[in-house]
Amino acid sequence: MSYVDAGYAVALGALFVYAVGLVLRRRRWERALRVSEVPVAETESAPGPGERL
Amino acid sequence: MSEPVPVPGRSRWLDVVGVLGVVAMGVTVWLGLWVTPPDVVQGNLARLLYIHPPIATVALYWVGIVAAGGSLLYLWPRTRSFFWDRLAASAVEVGAVFSALTLVTGSLWGRPAWGVWWTWDARLTSTALLLLLEIGYMALRRVPAEPAIRARRCAVAALLITIDIPIVHFSVDWWQTLHQGGTVLDPGFDLHVHGIMLWTLGIGFLAFSLIFVWLLGVRYQVEVLQDAVGDQELEVSLTERWNEDTELVGVGSGDGEPHPGGGAP
Repeated sequence: MSYVDAGYAVALGALFVYAVGLVLRRRRWERALRVSEVPVAETESAPGPGERL
Repeated sequence: MSEPVPVPGRSRWLDVVGVLGVVAMGVTVWLGLWVTPPDVVQGNLARLLYIHPPIATVALYWVGIVAAGGSLLYLWPRTRSFFWDRLAASAVEVGAVFSALTLVTGSLWGRPAWGVWWTWDARLTSTALLLLLEIGYMALRRVPAEPAIRARRCAVAALLITIDIPIVHFSVDWWQTLHQGGTVLDPGFDLHVHGIMLWTLGIGFLAFSLIFVWLLGVRYQVEVLQDAVGDQELEVSLTERWNEDTELVGVGSGDGEPHPGGGAP
């Protein structure tokens, strides 16, 4: 493999891997947000600070 | 308490930018590897210059503009918003990837051209310093703190990082370096590259710039989602804590009524 081929492979490969990693991170955080929203909805009926039972 | 986190949806314009970036990148690779002729002096090695200067341009100028601009706008009281903080943080992380690629592609060009993988040349050293500073910024961002404190701290750090950018840019003029001066333009704005080589380089600049915008957009979405999940978890923790307290008060009194001064956080 020549230096030129290696340069193109490294640059494009690294950007591709980083881009895929970002998309997977976004998907994971979207899932985490959906999961974390459920308990809030469930506990909405519970009394908040300062409220009496 | 920090401002509520507006969670972004998927953006169509960002998808368009991504597709255009991939197409432009494909054209750059096709022109750079198969269409353009070998250089008179450098031969085929000159083909690396269709990607190295565009990557370096993103790493230095586009990242510098977004990181410094976002940080300044966050620090300025009238424009203070976590939008600018998140944008600057996203730019620095994407910038670290481009800085690393600048060093790697430059090294792959330097080995056959200069005979060494690395030399403590002013341009190379200041670029390596930029990468280290960007990694330091990312470490600083992970230090637990109130969102406003973290944002202010990171904005100052980003501004300190961007001081290195003019040093990288002017290093070839200020010091005697192995690295050549301007690749495309000389100080008198005369073009060094012509014809199909110039077109290839131009499309390369466009391709890497579009890819940068897409990466920045997706990284920004990740940043917003992280903050939103953090807010939700805090809210859940507070609610659970409140429920525990009220249950304890109920058990302690036996009448189900909270006693004055007990339970409320």
